[in-house]
Parts: sequence; C-alpha cells; structure tokens
Amino acid sequence: VTPVQGRFFDGKTTAAHAATLSIGADGFVRIEGDGWERSVRLDEVEISDRIASVPRRVRFADGAVFETHENDPIDEALLGLGRHTFHHDVARWERHWPIALASLVLIVVASWAFVRYGIPAIATVAARVLPPAVDRAIGAEGLEILDRTFFEPSKLPAARRAALTARFRAMTAPLEDGHDYRLEFRSAGEDGANAFALPSGIVVLTDELVALAEKDDEIIAVLAHEIGHVRGRHGLRMILQSAGVSVLALAVLGDLGSASALAAMIPALIHAQHSRAFETEADEFAKQWLREHDIDPRSFDAMLCRLAEGESGGDGDGDDDRFDFLSSHPPTSQRAQCATPPVAE
Amino acid sequence: MQQSVALPASAAASVSGMPFESRANGGEYFRIWIVNLLLTVITLGIYSAWAKVRSLRYFYGTTSLDGTAFEYHGTGMQILKGRLIAFGVLAIYSLLTQFAPLLALIFIPIFFFGLPWVIVKARTFQMRVSSWRNVRFNFHGTYGGAMAAYIGWYLVAAITAGILTPLWIHKRTQYIVDNTSFGAERFRLAATLGRFFAFCYIAAGIGLAVVIVIAVAIPALMVAGSAGGASADPTAALLSAGPMLIVIGLLTFLALFAIVAYYERSFTNAVFDGLELGDHRVRCNLKFGRLFFIYLTNVLGMAVTLGLFYPWARVRMLRYQVESMGFEPSGSLDKLVADNQAASSAIGEEFGEAFDVNFGL
Repeated sequence: VTPVQGRFFDGKTTAAHAATLSIGADGFVRIEGDGWERSVRLDEVEISDRIASVPRRVRFADGAVFETHENDPIDEALLGLGRHTFHHDVARWERHWPIALASLVLIVVASWAFVRYGIPAIATVAARVLPPAVDRAIGAEGLEILDRTFFEPSKLPAARRAALTARFRAMTAPLEDGHDYRLEFRSAGEDGANAFALPSGIVVLTDELVALAEKDDEIIAVLAHEIGHVRGRHGLRMILQSAGVSVLALAVLGDLGSASALAAMIPALIHAQHSRAFETEADEFAKQWLREHDIDPRSFDAMLCRLAEGESGGDGDGDDDRFDFLSSHPPTSQRAQCATPPVAE
Repeated sequence: MQQSVALPASAAASVSGMPFESRANGGEYFRIWIVNLLLTVITLGIYSAWAKVRSLRYFYGTTSLDGTAFEYHGTGMQILKGRLIAFGVLAIYSLLTQFAPLLALIFIPIFFFGLPWVIVKARTFQMRVSSWRNVRFNFHGTYGGAMAAYIGWYLVAAITAGILTPLWIHKRTQYIVDNTSFGAERFRLAATLGRFFAFCYIAAGIGLAVVIVIAVAIPALMVAGSAGGASADPTAALLSAGPMLIVIGLLTFLALFAIVAYYERSFTNAVFDGLELGDHRVRCNLKFGRLFFIYLTNVLGMAVTLGLFYPWARVRMLRYQVESMGFEPSGSLDKLVADNQAASSAIGEEFGEAFDVNFGL
C-alpha cells in the first residue's frame, strides 16, 4: 500500500519528526523516519477512527504516535486486511448529505413512534410488575394538600352522600383489583363541577358536579370514568412514562443545551398526549361498564357535554380544538356526541 | 518575561503571537451530529457516549496550534460507564423524592461532600484525555483544594450577601487553572482579583439597572395608559400599554444577552489573556460586539429552525473563541516535556465526566 506522509511524536517531548508509514499486505506496519525505522504487527498498534478530515493517529505500544492527514490510504489498507469496524461505516455516513438528511427524517419518525407506542407499552408492563401498594404511595398526601388549599367541606345532605357512597361501593366491591376504593365529597365553589381520582383509589366528587347532574346515572357514569383511571393505574403509568420521556429527551436533546426553549416544551407536549390517551382509556372503561350494567352510555355523553358547556361559557362543545395538542383531555366533540337529544325516559 | 518571538501574525487574528486555528465547518459538523443522533435514538440513548466522543474528537481535531491539531482520547466505553453510574445515582434520588421525600434528604450532605470530588475527577479526566503533539494535559488539584475553592469560598460569598462573589469566582478559577498542566509545565492564572471584581460588578450593575428600568417603566406605562383611556380598569390599562410592553420585553431580552455576552467575554479574556505556561503565554482577545452578535444570531437561528441550526451555532461560537486566541512562545515549542503520569484507575474520573461539569474555561 502507498506509504503515507506524516509526523512522528515520541510522547516524551513536543518535538515533531517527519516520517512515512505503510501498512503492508502481510499485516505489518512499517514506519520510517530520518535514519530510523520500526516495524510492528498491525495488532500492536491502535489506529484512531476516522472523523471527517481530522488527522489520523497511529499509536504504538510505547505511547509514541504517528499522525497523518492522509485518511483514504489508511482506510484502504485496513479494509484490504479485513479490518472493517462499525465506525468505518459511521464515518462514511457522516460524509454524505443524503444520508445525513435521511437520518433527520428517521430521527423524527423513530422518536415519534417510540414516544407514541414504545414508552406507553414499557410503562404498562412496568406497572403490571409493581404492586398496588406503589399506587397508594403516590401522592398519599394529595388530598390533604388540596383540602388545605382549594376545597371546602361538602354541603351535600348526609343522606344524599350515603346513597351515592352505597352505589360507589356496589360498583367497586366486585372489582377486587387490590385498590382501596373510597368516595370523598368536597365543595369547590362556583365553576367547581369536577371529579377526579387519586392513584390510591380515592375518588373525589364535588357538590357542584352532583348539582349539575340531571340524573344519578350521570354521576355513576362519571364515577365509572374515575374508577377507570384507578383501575388502569394511570397515575403510576403517567409517572413511569414521564420518566421515560425525560430519559429520552436527555439522550436526544441533552447536548442542545438550555438555549433551545423549544426543546424544553417537548416533554410538556408529550405529557399532554399521554394524558389524553389515559382519558380515552378511562372513557372506554366507563362506557363498557355502563353497558354491562344496563345503564345508557349516553348518560356519560350528556354529563361530558354539560361539563364542557359550563367551561366554555355555554357556547357548546369543541371550541378548544385549536389548542388540541396542548390539552390534557381530548376535545369533548371526540369523546361524546353532544348533538344527541336528551336521553328519553 | 515578555519576550515574545516575532512570528508572522495571521491577517484575521487581532491577537498577538501564534494564532490558534479552527477548521471546524458547520455543514460537516451537522452531518456528524445528525448521523450520531440517529444512532443515539435507535439505541435508546446508549450510543450517546460514542456520539459525544466523535463530536469532541471533531472539535479537538479541527483546532490547531503551530500546524498541529489537538487530540481527544476519551473512549465511548469510558463515557458510558460514567453515565451509567451517574444515571443510577439520579434514578435512586428521583425515586426517593417520589416515594420517601425524607430519605431523599440524605442526598444533601452527599451532594455537599461529593461535589468537590466530582469536580476533581471530571477535570482530571478531561485533561488527561487531551493532548497536543502527543503530550497530555493533566490536573493536580486535590479534594481539599476543591472543597476550599468551591464550597469554602462560596460560603464566604454567601455570608457577605454576594458582595464577595467575585472573590469566590477568582478562587475557584485559580484552583482549576493553577492545578492544570501541559506535560511537565504548569499553567498559572495571570488575572488579578481586581479584574474579577471589576467585570463581575459591571455585569451585576447592568443587570440591576435593567431590573430598575423595568420596575419603573411598566407601572409608569400602565398609569399613562389608564390616564389616556380614562379607565381605572388595570386590564384595559395593560392592554393599551401592550405595544410598549412588547418593546420593553424585547429590550430586556437584548439586555440579558448583552450581560451574558459581556460576562463571558470578560471572564474568558481574564482566564486566557496572559495565562502562563512556564515562560510561554496565551493571549485572548474576545470582543463584546462580535460575541453578542454571535449569541443573538445563534439563538434566533435555533428558534427559527427548531434546533437544527445547532451544529452551525456551535461551530460559529467555537471558531470565534479559537480564533481570538494566540500563543506567545518563549523559544521553541518543540521542547515541552511530557510528565510521567501513572495511568491511574479512571472509574471516578468517568463518573465526574458524566455530570458534564463545566468550568467555563
């Protein structure tokens, strides 16, 4: 193979010595300087990976280094001797624009697919492995904090509360999934029609939601939705998925630095997407449960539509579609058929 | 000491001595970055250690002095080991904060006593994997030294309500620089404490001025707005002052960049201009205007291209920094001698490297 020109550094001083190096077909590396020469087996030297046109380094066992700008002859010699490495391919890809641009497309597709399907699948498996005790530990103090900052005690008549609690018990008793279900009533002031579930199994219902419902079936539908969250272990899965996204974001965007505020927004967008997937799952659980218990699933739709009206000041549903991707809940128009006339009875 | 050898000065460089040169190129680095990013994504982040090595080798290898490029010798496996350990520690910490917040408190002393250790290990690793003409850099700082410089002097700055912060910055910079060597030759920080006080106070002064202007301007505009609109409604006042608020927002944004650029320029010049290596000297002459312009256009470029401008941004910044530096040798550059450094165990060093400790040098 054609000898390559370069410089030799003995590793003891910064002095440079002009030298010529050749890699023979016999697997020997010969280096020749002014009045000296060395010959060693290829296995005894370490040749650095190629990167762009950065000088190539051939390192000898004693720490001496030969450095050359002639990358191509070195590659040819190594390939000729069957010394093909992965970074040889990487260096080739890095030289070609079409491959670089294809990489860009693949990064976007692979990241999207992983975030959309990979992370939720991993989180589901991980949640299955973790015992329900873990759910109880998440936000164990959540309700106390909300009570201190946001909620007032419920003003519903005790009999009404007892009746709803009895129905809730009847709903949850047959589930036997290891969660300690409990129904709590709170008042949240005007515009406070809401219901939510804590991972520990506590479902909170506000007086305002109870007042908004026209029939008990509508409240039952909401409770079924919240039970769907607990049973699906959405709290735990959300934590696991957020952790997964953080790790991925760190790996992919880590070296972008803090300069890109856009990069910082991405985990929030993904969080919203995952949260919406959980809402859909809880909706499906609720509708399925209602059908199985001979309750018209449209009572769920009716309740959602009324909640949406309350939020948007009475001008109907779906007005938040523009900010679809930012919302933690799917638009009401996708979740319920609001055009349906009130359930006839 | 000031006996610089006459050398042909590069036409572009406004700095005396032999110029440091950079051949880094945005398009070339974009291809390296994006290909390695793809490999990182499809290996779920594991390849990122090798991606980091390729990036660093590219930047070292395109930076040269006296016709010889610098070299980075770290390996992907070294970086990966450090990252795995660091990842394990962070995972334990975040699990504890989630499930047992009280237990997570034990991380406070661990952080306190661990930080100096991480700093020493990271700096040692970074220096030992850097070389020029096959002579390596090294770091000789001790744990006690790092504890004093980073924690001890920090406490001094803290109890004086920040007044002595420049002293802390000077101490820790001196600790890092004076313990660094190239071969058998030590570096020595030349910048005086007074210089650190000067630029720190100027930067803080500009920052304070910006805060005062905002604090005065916004209420003033709101008052003017409500008077003009004959309305006492604060929302209406805010709306009528809207265009002015946008202008103030933009000016604040520019002012913050100016402060960052001013501080970076001053700090880097203080560290490198006059920096001694035995009888040799480093020169550095970063200009505020140019640095400010690069910062601003880099951020705008990144925002407009959703981050794809990153490789060009990084190359532009690096090229400007490298090309602002020069080296005034005292005699021949062939006679610097290597240090007989023992190849020490590197586990801790890799661990430090994983935290990407940035010394701002």
